[in-house]
Amino acid sequence: MLEARLATASLFKKTVDAIKDLVQDCNFDCNDSGIALQAMDNSHVALVSMMLKAESFSPFRCDRNIALGVNLTSLTKVLRAAGSEDVLTLKAEDAPDVLNLVFENSDSDRISEYDLKLMDIDQEHLGIPDTEYAATITMPSAEFKRITTDLMAMSESVTIEASKDGVKFSSTGDIGNGSITLRQHTNVEKPSEAIDIELSEPVALTFSLKYLTNFCKAQPLSAQVKLCLSAEVPLMVEYALEGNSYLRFYLAPKIGDEE
Amino acid sequence: MARTRSKGGAASTSADKTTSTTAKSASTSAYTLPAESSNPPKLFVLPKDASSSARIITLENPRYGKPTRYLVCPENGSFYEFTKIAPPNKSTPRSWLLSSTEKASILESQTIQSPELYLATPYDPLFLLLPALFTSSSNLIPNTDRHFSEILTLPNSQVEKALESRLVSVCDCVELSDDKMYRPNDSKLSSVILSKARKMAENLPPSMEEKFIKKALEAPVMGIDSVSSETQSTTNSTSTAPSAISTAPTTPSTSPPSEPTFAPAITASPAIVSLQRLRTSLNFILSSYLPPSLSKALQSSLPSDTFAPLEEYLSQLSKLRAEAAASRSNDINGGKRARDEEDDERLEKKRKMEQEDKVKKANTSRGVKQLAKVDTKGMMKLSAFFKKKA
Repeated sequence: MLEARLATASLFKKTVDAIKDLVQDCNFDCNDSGIALQAMDNSHVALVSMMLKAESFSPFRCDRNIALGVNLTSLTKVLRAAGSEDVLTLKAEDAPDVLNLVFENSDSDRISEYDLKLMDIDQEHLGIPDTEYAATITMPSAEFKRITTDLMAMSESVTIEASKDGVKFSSTGDIGNGSITLRQHTNVEKPSEAIDIELSEPVALTFSLKYLTNFCKAQPLSAQVKLCLSAEVPLMVEYALEGNSYLRFYLAPKIGDEE
Repeated sequence: MARTRSKGGAASTSADKTTSTTAKSASTSAYTLPAESSNPPKLFVLPKDASSSARIITLENPRYGKPTRYLVCPENGSFYEFTKIAPPNKSTPRSWLLSSTEKASILESQTIQSPELYLATPYDPLFLLLPALFTSSSNLIPNTDRHFSEILTLPNSQVEKALESRLVSVCDCVELSDDKMYRPNDSKLSSVILSKARKMAENLPPSMEEKFIKKALEAPVMGIDSVSSETQSTTNSTSTAPSAISTAPTTPSTSPPSEPTFAPAITASPAIVSLQRLRTSLNFILSSYLPPSLSKALQSSLPSDTFAPLEEYLSQLSKLRAEAAASRSNDINGGKRARDEEDDERLEKKRKMEQEDKVKKANTSRGVKQLAKVDTKGMMKLSAFFKKKA
């Protein structure tokens, strides 16, 4: 059986919030190392990979592999009932019909408990290899969100160009064009505001802005976001979470669409 | 016809002998079961008026041309055929237990394993003569048939006289000097057969009445609608013998349509019923006693209008039956009601689909819906980059 206790419900709330706009139904795969999730969007051009390590929970108990097939919209509805500071406990039997969620408010001694019906989801898993990316850009997640929102006004796609000068996000559309260039930047007082660019070779790729803005729903999860690019491989957008957990998005680049 | 047990019956036939011998053996071993006889006795019911000189003889069956056993009593010149009565269900074991009606001890009773009963019923020897008289190929029977000739030569045999009297009924008789010459007459034969059929039709056994008369003339039951009441009135006008019974239920055809009742569309008048009886009897006689060629010839020689009203009724009936069958099959696959049901089903399915879609939509987030609109042209599927995990 599974029993996982999160000190604050907000982590799980925000994670589910970020995923629910990309996929509809997916399996939470639980094993002794934690709770993992991998799912593609309906078009199969984007993939979300979530890993909530056992260390992020206290305690975490899962004796055997359990797949929890969940409709994320329904899960969101249930999680809406949880206060962000509530203690969240996820429980499930070995061959579960329902996922049991308990929200405890330590201040008011209020305990709410929900059972969410599960479903059978047939999902294929992709093996994602460890990749040495040509460019790895770390920047404030709010900054990335702003860039994508701003450029949406111009076009539906953005070209990300990483060079030794910095990283340039540019869009060209019917009404004109626009670009944002970021340079390497360190901030001693606020490390989360720093921008770090690791570059092994220059790379320029075009992506769908709509998908990127969608990824940015995960912005509340982490102050920093990491973009990893290589020519002709999917972009990885990673939001690192406490305790080695992460939420990663992958997006296929637009190829041969220059007009 | 008197019922007599073959054991101790007047006729001392070969079958009788076996019966009495086994009876004796049964009585000798009182308390043990007697050994099973290799030639088990058979149970016969013989006519009371058959004399002791009656014999079972083998003659050629006029219908099938096979040797068949007949009981002949030479003293009064009567012929009997045997009718075998067997239980319809062979799987249930049955047997006879026979005991004398006198207050003899139970030891004298006996059992017969085979449950068959042979009934001797009067047989018109005319049928035996017919193949010789009316079919061109065959010669006179007496020369070829040893049994027959023996019967004819038995002392004070009345067989010849009986045969002669039957012969006259179907032949023209011409006396040339001392010799009597007989010429077969087809019309005489057909009138004899017809009169036999009439006699039989007067008293058909209930099983035949049910199967060949009632079932054959029964019209399909329909809720009375305009079509069936029309046909009803037409049958009445065409039927040659108007009868009070059949017209009574059909009079409403002129009156305003009443509540739909479930009644047969047409009913057969007594005249038609009796015609059907006659035809059934005639067919029975023709198909079981006459040589096939002769029965065919006889059938065609019947006056064509004999069964005309019946034919008319039957054609009407078959039409009605076809209609009923058609309407039934319509009900199943093509009828209006069926079509409505189909429509209902389709609507129901549609509604269900819509409902499912609604639920699905409700469970789909706005983000997912918006992503569905995104133009993914030029974007490769992720499975092109990442291999599937085993």
